[in-house]
Amino acid sequence: MQDSEIIAWLRAHDERGVEALITHYGALMRYVISPVLPSLQDREECLSEAAMRVWGKIELYDAARGSWRSWLTALCRNAAINYARNRNPAGEAEELVERQPSPEPTPEEAVVRQERNEAIKRALGRLSDKDRMLFYRKYYYLQSTAQIASELAMTERAVEGRLYRLKRELRRMLGGEGHE
Amino acid sequence: MSEQKWESMNDADFDSVLQGSLPEPPPDDIVAEVTPWKKAMNRVLTGLALSVITLNFLALNYILPAIGLILMLLGFRTLRRENGWFCSCYAVCLVKAAYFFPSLILNATTYQSIVSALPVYRYLTAASLVLTLIQFFCLWRGIKAVKRKAGLAAEAAAAGALIVWYLIIAALVLLGYGGTVVGIAMIVSCFFIIRGLYHLSSELDEAGYIIQTASVHISDKVLVRVIGGLLAAGIVCGYLFAASYPMNWVAVERTEEAETTEIKYRLIELGFPENVLEDMAEADLLECRDAFQVVVDVTDKPVNRGREVVEYEGNTEYHTTVYDVKELRITGVAVELPGERETWKVIHHFQWLVDPGFYGTESIQLWPTYYQGAEGWDEAGEVAGRVLHTLEGEDYAASYYSLGSETFTSNSIFWGERSSTDVFASFSMPKNSEDQRGYISYTTTAHYADVKYIMNSWVNYTHQRGWLQYPVNTATEYRMSGAWNDYGPFVTVQDALQFYNTDDGIDMLTAEE
Repeated sequence: MQDSEIIAWLRAHDERGVEALITHYGALMRYVISPVLPSLQDREECLSEAAMRVWGKIELYDAARGSWRSWLTALCRNAAINYARNRNPAGEAEELVERQPSPEPTPEEAVVRQERNEAIKRALGRLSDKDRMLFYRKYYYLQSTAQIASELAMTERAVEGRLYRLKRELRRMLGGEGHE
Repeated sequence: MSEQKWESMNDADFDSVLQGSLPEPPPDDIVAEVTPWKKAMNRVLTGLALSVITLNFLALNYILPAIGLILMLLGFRTLRRENGWFCSCYAVCLVKAAYFFPSLILNATTYQSIVSALPVYRYLTAASLVLTLIQFFCLWRGIKAVKRKAGLAAEAAAAGALIVWYLIIAALVLLGYGGTVVGIAMIVSCFFIIRGLYHLSSELDEAGYIIQTASVHISDKVLVRVIGGLLAAGIVCGYLFAASYPMNWVAVERTEEAETTEIKYRLIELGFPENVLEDMAEADLLECRDAFQVVVDVTDKPVNRGREVVEYEGNTEYHTTVYDVKELRITGVAVELPGERETWKVIHHFQWLVDPGFYGTESIQLWPTYYQGAEGWDEAGEVAGRVLHTLEGEDYAASYYSLGSETFTSNSIFWGERSSTDVFASFSMPKNSEDQRGYISYTTTAHYADVKYIMNSWVNYTHQRGWLQYPVNTATEYRMSGAWNDYGPFVTVQDALQFYNTDDGIDMLTAEE
């Protein structure tokens, strides 16, 4: 089944769209959600929530800004983070959520954040494809070292070492840009 | 943000900033690559493609399957926890690796032909074919299991087609079919099957997110380096330490009995070359006890490629190859012995006049005067001989590594495929030795008492002049293959002892060089 068909059904608020979404993209959605939510039950509830978000926000999807899969990934990741925040305001999940930027920044914060995002984007652009992927796995997909290691057929120690060097390199790049 | 702020951040803050500063949505290339399935499955399929493709040049028929096996090993290693079928594929890869990689090392030694001739090797080859079929079957079932788990229709037609394709190939091999049309059809169908598998894999991109990958104790990079390192070390060791035959060299004792001394005097009187006489084993010498005629033919042969000289005669250009050095002296000696019928002991002696250069394997192929039932002469005893060299002034001798009749099938552009049985003497010379030499001898009797026939005895001396060949062939194997390529690692020198024993004396038929 083509993505365009699923999107068309969803846009037309045809229930077959949600069904097809779960059939064809359920695995991807679960894959994005699971590193954020350790509990199997939470994952399934979050999956339903994410599917409803897709249903509700399908009009916001713009193919010119990225692929369908990228949009779905971003939506599921944010759904999982929000689910974790709402479900478990204290403890591990909160620690994760606290690290996320405040949803409503002040104008000054917004400028600083914009500047920071640009600097990080430039630094990421200078990394090798492999390092960039590792970075995204860790800081975007929020995957554990064990998961990254097994999927990349590396030892956990090797992943930790590479992440350490990667962070050091990023600090160097970002620090260097401060002088410019 | 200033440099000071980045530097003053602790690790947790830095992580937090990184997590919150990534673009939304993530780049398409990242989303496409972050999956547990794609990399592993692409490795499996690329490995599969490399394993089934056979390109018989530049050792690609070994290199590509080796890379293919490593890729499949890595791919299935990642997927092995997903289901029992993939786990079985991984186990098959391990078994194949356990005999395939050692066989690659074995190919860098002179023992490869000995091992490949063993019955157990044939069973291993058959087992390998069955294992490949099992692997294809498990791959097919494994992919179906993944699709079923993802809630998709459990179909994997391309993987199923691969099994059918392999069964047809096996049947064609067993039937010995070598037709071009079917061959091309199988190559084309293989291409479409592999393409179908890649298509199937990309179809499975969505389902692949459910894959449970296995943790590893050794990373792929380290594993590949270890396999590559061991292979390289093994192959280098093969070339260095197992590229020649083990020879049992013994110092030559020159204690001469009165009888042998007398025989020697007699033979020298008849014109027997002294240097050849000194190299002969006592048993061969005693056979010449009552010799009454000796025929000798000495030829120096080049083992190099020479240099081309162009000469002009009028408007005609003549190209000739000039050999400044002739490294190998071949002496043909025939000793006539008493008997009811004409009897000769024929000796083909070789002697290196310069350093042979490379010390690999050497071979002498004998075409005796009674070769392939040639009219006029009969075999009258076993072929004998030995090899010698000098080291620090002392002579050493050894029996040939092998000496005897070998039946082989060779391919020639002139004669096509044909089966022959020839006498071969295989041997190696030690490095740092001097004056490498040896001989091969046999006795023949005339078939008729009253009809004389031409003595026509040939030797083909094959010298290995370089190591660069894979798999390693010995000089004897090279000769048996029927190849005649003096630009390869071997060069063959041919010499004949030809004469006619007339009532007026010996009429030499060998052209003077």
